Amino acid sequence: MMYIILAFITGAMVILSMVINSSLGKKIGVFQGTFINYVVGLIGTSIMLLIMEGGINISFDKLHGVPAWAYLGGAIGVIVVSVSNVIIPKIPTIYSTLLIFIGQIATGILIDYLTVNVVSKGKILGSILILGGLLYNFYVDKQELISE
Amino acid sequence: MYKLSAVIIGILIAIMVTINGALSKGIGDYKAVLIIHIVGLIAVSLVLILRKEKLKFNEKLPAYLFSGGAIGVFVVLFNNIAFNKLGASLTLSLGLFGQLIMSGIIDHFGLFHMKVSKFKSKKIVGFFMIFLGIIVMVIY
Repeated sequence: MMYIILAFITGAMVILSMVINSSLGKKIGVFQGTFINYVVGLIGTSIMLLIMEGGINISFDKLHGVPAWAYLGGAIGVIVVSVSNVIIPKIPTIYSTLLIFIGQIATGILIDYLTVNVVSKGKILGSILILGGLLYNFYVDKQELISE
Repeated sequence: MYKLSAVIIGILIAIMVTINGALSKGIGDYKAVLIIHIVGLIAVSLVLILRKEKLKFNEKLPAYLFSGGAIGVFVVLFNNIAFNKLGASLTLSLGLFGQLIMSGIIDHFGLFHMKVSKFKSKKIVGFFMIFLGIIVMVIY
């Protein structure tokens, strides 16, 4: 249960950081904004490591124990930010939210299949319900826009 | 073309959460966040160099604009922890639900100088469906 709440709160924080970062991006440019973001993040992480582990000591044995692709997450994050900045202003929010979610959930179900070897019908049914809910709410918004 | 790119963004996010989760499992939650930020910083620096952008340090910026990066630290940390416990699809769906609720709150109150757009009670139906979808995902 704790992890479910954690994942939920993370989503809320994603929006907070997106709103703040986009206003930063408007002032100094998207990539400079992203740069500042990572600098602040790096300082924040170092402080966190100092508090939680009493220092930054990373053993090379451990670093070697992880496959090379595991280090690419940070770079993919930058690609996501770059592509999003081009795409999101160009298509209606309904499409970007839905399409990004469809890409995420399809890949997520595939990854769950590859890592734990289960395709759960519940996950598929659940994501169809989520898509239905998203579509319904977008429909409500659209109606409102037309009646205005 | 743009629509396809939106799907690709979604795919990349799912892959990123998985990769970061694997790193977290391999070297520890906190160290993984450090590495992710170092790699990201290198990547964005390369982008800046390729675009020949000069850093504008002399801009006067309100302090809160710098907090996005600090929030990002917790986003990465929590995502990694949740991924290793809940798997990819549930972590991503719960994250989406949190995103929708938060954007609803920001729009309703017009926080962060955003345009006020009041919550419409009809949308409870949609949120309920999404919530139901998540419950189905959790139970199965």
